Amino acid sequence: MKLITLVAKVDKEKCTGCKTCAKVCPTVAIEIVDRKAVINEELCRGCGNCNQRCPVYAVTMEKLEKPYKVSVAVEDVPYEKIDELCKKALLNPEQIICYCTATRAEEVAAAVLKGAKSPEELSQLTGVRTGCKVECIQPMLRLLEAHGVTPVPPEGGYQWYGRTPTIWDIPEEVKKKYSSRGFYFDEDIKLLNKVKDTRKEEK
Amino acid sequence: MLRKPITPQKPRVSQYGVDPKYVTKRVAEYPEITSVMLSDLFPDTPKVIYPSEKGIAAVREAAEKALENIDMSMIKPGDSVNVCASHHGFTLLGGEPYAELLRTVRDVIARKTGTDNIRLRAGVGLRFRETEEYIKAFKLDEHYKGKARGVAPVDEGIPIETEIGTLYGIKAIYDADWIVHVHNSDVREVHFHRQVDRAVKPFGMSYARIETRSTYHQNLGPRGANFTARSIFASEFVQSKFAFTAFLDMSPVGVVGVDADNDLYALNDRLTVAGCKYYGKIMTLLGQIDECIAALDFPCPVPYVFAAGVIYANFVGANVDLFDLEGDLPPYTWYTEAFYGKDGKPLIEGVPPVNPAIKMCVQNYGWGGYPSAFFSEHIPTIVVGREQAEVMNRDPQNIEYMSHAVIADNLDTAMAFAYKTTKTDKVIIFDGAAGGINVSESLAKFLIEKAPYVNKLVDEELLPKWLCQRGVDPEVLKNFK
Repeated sequence: MKLITLVAKVDKEKCTGCKTCAKVCPTVAIEIVDRKAVINEELCRGCGNCNQRCPVYAVTMEKLEKPYKVSVAVEDVPYEKIDELCKKALLNPEQIICYCTATRAEEVAAAVLKGAKSPEELSQLTGVRTGCKVECIQPMLRLLEAHGVTPVPPEGGYQWYGRTPTIWDIPEEVKKKYSSRGFYFDEDIKLLNKVKDTRKEEK
Repeated sequence: MLRKPITPQKPRVSQYGVDPKYVTKRVAEYPEITSVMLSDLFPDTPKVIYPSEKGIAAVREAAEKALENIDMSMIKPGDSVNVCASHHGFTLLGGEPYAELLRTVRDVIARKTGTDNIRLRAGVGLRFRETEEYIKAFKLDEHYKGKARGVAPVDEGIPIETEIGTLYGIKAIYDADWIVHVHNSDVREVHFHRQVDRAVKPFGMSYARIETRSTYHQNLGPRGANFTARSIFASEFVQSKFAFTAFLDMSPVGVVGVDADNDLYALNDRLTVAGCKYYGKIMTLLGQIDECIAALDFPCPVPYVFAAGVIYANFVGANVDLFDLEGDLPPYTWYTEAFYGKDGKPLIEGVPPVNPAIKMCVQNYGWGGYPSAFFSEHIPTIVVGREQAEVMNRDPQNIEYMSHAVIADNLDTAMAFAYKTTKTDKVIIFDGAAGGINVSESLAKFLIEKAPYVNKLVDEELLPKWLCQRGVDPEVLKNFK
C-alpha cells in the first residue's frame, strides 16, 4: 500500500526525448511522443526516478492536490493461498518487503494471485518499488516465480534484469570456502527459515 | 577533560535536505553542552593527518606516498581507467579529504601510466543525484577534465557471473579497460556489513544495480549479506578489470592516512583490525549509555548523521554488540525491520529492541533520501521546523516518517519538550564534530567514568573474539600500529 502524494511533470522545453525517464520508470508510466516525454498520470506513483535521472533536469515532482492510496485488499484472496505462495517464495506473509511503503509480502502475494504478471504491474497496484526503487525487486520476482510466472523485463528498459540467488542457493563448497571469513550462511538460513515458518498465532 | 563544544559540520545545500537558511541554531550552541576528545577517553586513539596543521596537503602527501609502490604497469598509455568512488566518502569531515584523494589518484595514474583517459564514476546510496552534487561542489569535473559523473543503481546494468550465480553491476562503472576502487575505511553501516569484507562492500552496493542491492538486503540474511560484494569482486569479469585500490584510512577522530594496494583482500584485512579496534571501542562505550536525548544535526539522511565517527543507525543498535557475529539480528537492519508484524511486534522471538537508552530524538537537521520511518516509529521523534517536516513528507522514501513524529517550531521548544518529557539531562549530538563528541556535561562525565572499563573490555575480551570470528589471528595486534 502506498499513499501517492506526488506526480511527475515534464518541462517540454527542456525535454530532449532521450528516453532515460521511460527506461527507469518502475510503473512504465512514460512514453515518448514526438520526441517528448509524456507522463501517464494514472500510472505515475510519484517515485521520482524520472526526476532523479533526467540528464537535462526536465522533470519535476509536484504535490498532488488530492493524494490517493493504491493497495490490493488481502481479504479478497483466501489467506491459505497467500500463505502457501509466500512459503514457496521463502517469505513470511507478514514480513515487510518494501521498506519505504511498509508493504508486506501478503499484499504483493495477493496481487500476484489476482493476476499481476510483472514487477511493473505489482508497482502500479501496490506501490512497491516506488519509494527507493531499489531494495524490493527480489522478493517481487520471488513471489512471481513461486506462482509460476516468468516475467519479461520491459523492452529496452533498465527497470530490472533478473532474479538473483538467495542464501538457500549458495553451493556447499562456496559456503565452506568462506565460512572462516565471518559469513554465517547456515546460521542465517536457520534464522530466515524460522521467520518463514513462524505464524503469529503459533507464537 | 571537559572542553568547549567542537564546531559542528556546516549544513550543506542539497535537494535532499532543507535550505541551510532554515538551520538557524545548532544543538552544540547550548550552554549545557560540552565536548570530550576521544583521545581523552581512549589512550590508544590514533594520531591523525587530517584535521591537522598541514591541512588538506597532508592527504595529498599521504596519497602520493601510498601510491608510489602500487603496480600500475597493466595500464598502458591510451587505456581507459574508471576511478570508482562512492557518496559516503564525501560525508566525512566535510568531504574535502576524500575529494583530495580522488584528485590525487587521478594525477598519479596520469603521471605513472601516461594515459589521460581517466574518468570518475561516483556511485550513490538511495539519493541518485547525491554524488552529482559533490562532483559540482568539489569541482571534480574540472579535475577530471569533464569526465566525472554520478551513477545510480537504476542506470543501465550488466550481468556479472559469480560463484553463486548471476548478479548485476552498473554498466558505467565497468565501461573502461581498468577500474580503480577508491573508498574509505570508516565502518559506517556495521549493522549491515558487520565489518566482514568492509573494503569490498561497494561492489555489492554503490557500484551495483538494484537486483544486487536487493539480494544484499532481502536474499542473503543479516550476516551473509555482504557476500554479494565478495561474489562480484571475485568474479572473473571484475578481476580482469581491477587495477588497484586506494583508501582514505579513517578512525573515529579523523583521517589516519591513506592505504593503497593491488590486493584488495590484503587491504581489507588491515582495515578489519583497525575498524574493530577503534570503532569497536567508541561503539561499545556509546552502548553503555543508560539514558539520553539523541540530537541529530548533520547534513545526511537520519541514519547517517555522525557522533564520534559513529552513525545514528549504529547508536540505535548500540544496546547490542554489533561486531559480535554470534548475534544474528541487530536492533536495526532492514532484515530486522522486515520482521516486525502488523501489530508492531516482532514475528519471531529474539528480535532485540532498539536502544532503550534513547528516550527521545530531536531532529534539528537531517536529510530524507533513505527509508527512515523505522526510526520515528520506534523512537519518539521531534522534527524541528515545518520546512524540514515538509522535506520528509515530499520524500517518496519517507511518506510515513512524519506519521510517527511531531513538529516543533524551533530548536528551543524541541529541546525544552525533550528535557521535560524524558526527565534526563544527558544529550548526545550527532553533528559530525571532529576529534571528539559534543554532549551535555552530565553525559560527558558518564562517558569519562565508563571509558577505562570499556577500554579494557575491548582490548582484552571483545577485540580478540571479533577478530577470530572474521578469520583474523589476534596475534596481529602485537605488531599493529
